[in-house]
Amino acid sequence: MDSSDERAVEKQRVHIRPDTLRDAAPGTLHLLPCEIPASRPAPVDCFFTPALRQGAHGLEASFRGRSLRGEEVTVPPGLVGYVMVMEEEGEVSGRTPYFPRAGREPEQRELAEAPEALERDFDRFMGATASFSGFTLWGLETLPGPDAKVRGALTWPSLAAAIHAQVPED
Amino acid sequence: MAGGGDGGDGARARQHVFLLPEYFKDASKKAKSGLMIVKLVNPCTGEGAMYLFNMYLQQLFEIKVFKEKHHSWFINQSVQSGGLLHFATPMDPLFLLLHYFIKADKEGKFQPLDQVVVDDTFPNCILLLKLRELEKLLPHVTEEKEIGNKKYYKYSKEKTLKWLGKKVNQTVAALKNNNVNVSAHVQSTAFFSSCQTSNDKEEDYIRYAHGLISDYIPKELSDDLSKYLKLPETPPPLSAPPSKVAAQRRKRDK
Repeated sequence: MDSSDERAVEKQRVHIRPDTLRDAAPGTLHLLPCEIPASRPAPVDCFFTPALRQGAHGLEASFRGRSLRGEEVTVPPGLVGYVMVMEEEGEVSGRTPYFPRAGREPEQRELAEAPEALERDFDRFMGATASFSGFTLWGLETLPGPDAKVRGALTWPSLAAAIHAQVPED
Repeated sequence: MAGGGDGGDGARARQHVFLLPEYFKDASKKAKSGLMIVKLVNPCTGEGAMYLFNMYLQQLFEIKVFKEKHHSWFINQSVQSGGLLHFATPMDPLFLLLHYFIKADKEGKFQPLDQVVVDDTFPNCILLLKLRELEKLLPHVTEEKEIGNKKYYKYSKEKTLKWLGKKVNQTVAALKNNNVNVSAHVQSTAFFSSCQTSNDKEEDYIRYAHGLISDYIPKELSDDLSKYLKLPETPPPLSAPPSKVAAQRRKRDK
């Protein structure tokens, strides 16, 4: 999460809209071995995708004139990948507005709404825009290989399950 | 999304790549607020951390972020800088409750749960009280008294260490199943004394598991757990200065 989203979570609850998890269309994801400072639409299917080739040592592609080698990575069993986007503040989402409406006395508001309802006014919503069961992991000139850090990270869920499983009673 | 002209990729807003449990899809259609991300205390550092509640199933998840330098995502027809990957994995709520019980223990008395789990910095901690079968979990780390239908609890270090010991054991089993390499220490001792490797192996798994669990408990408790597990107080450093290594060797040779 970036810092503005961090702030959003600070005092608020960020709700994930469950219907978006059911409806999210499959997406295509590539994890590139370089930092692109901007986040914006990009014509991936015009420039990147047509250059993909199945070489002797995995997938081959190029980006900004540098040669890339790629391999497919699958999401660990029991998990699904989602691309999530925070809804803009003030976007119509069927919730009560952030600020108390004019003409309502504060006392009246306190009477009308339970504390938890008030808290909900500060909430934000997040929804899935795409789902995925795997992505392409790219390395610069060579395959990322089994030692790639992201591969290590993908073993975390099975380890976390053991750490957090309930222990048997005596 | 407001724009709508970007082919449905929502590329103008920041995109977060998440791995979520498959069964989240089946979350009830009726409730609007069944899945939520909140900031709660990290029981190890006392700072803030992100957690996810599944209120339909009354379960707690921890959010961990994979972040490595020089990575970015291509997501459909868009680019997302950072290359972050968020994991939501199940979290044992007892680690968080323990944080509050240890804090409340300074008063040294039995208290009802809703007076223990109180936090001005992270008010969302009250969500913890709604988790499933909490009363079944608490005996692992507390003594309890029942007075007139209401339960009162008090932190028990003895029970907590026993509980953590079991956690270490089941983590050791998972480390073995996943073939996690815990052998950095083995290799370094093997280099200096070839006779100890086979004995050290089990100890290395325990130390590694102790390290993983220590990410969820305060430092003081981690030290006590180390003693409880009978781990040697200071593990030999990986890059011990030659003089020290020589001294250790001399000691061992005696």
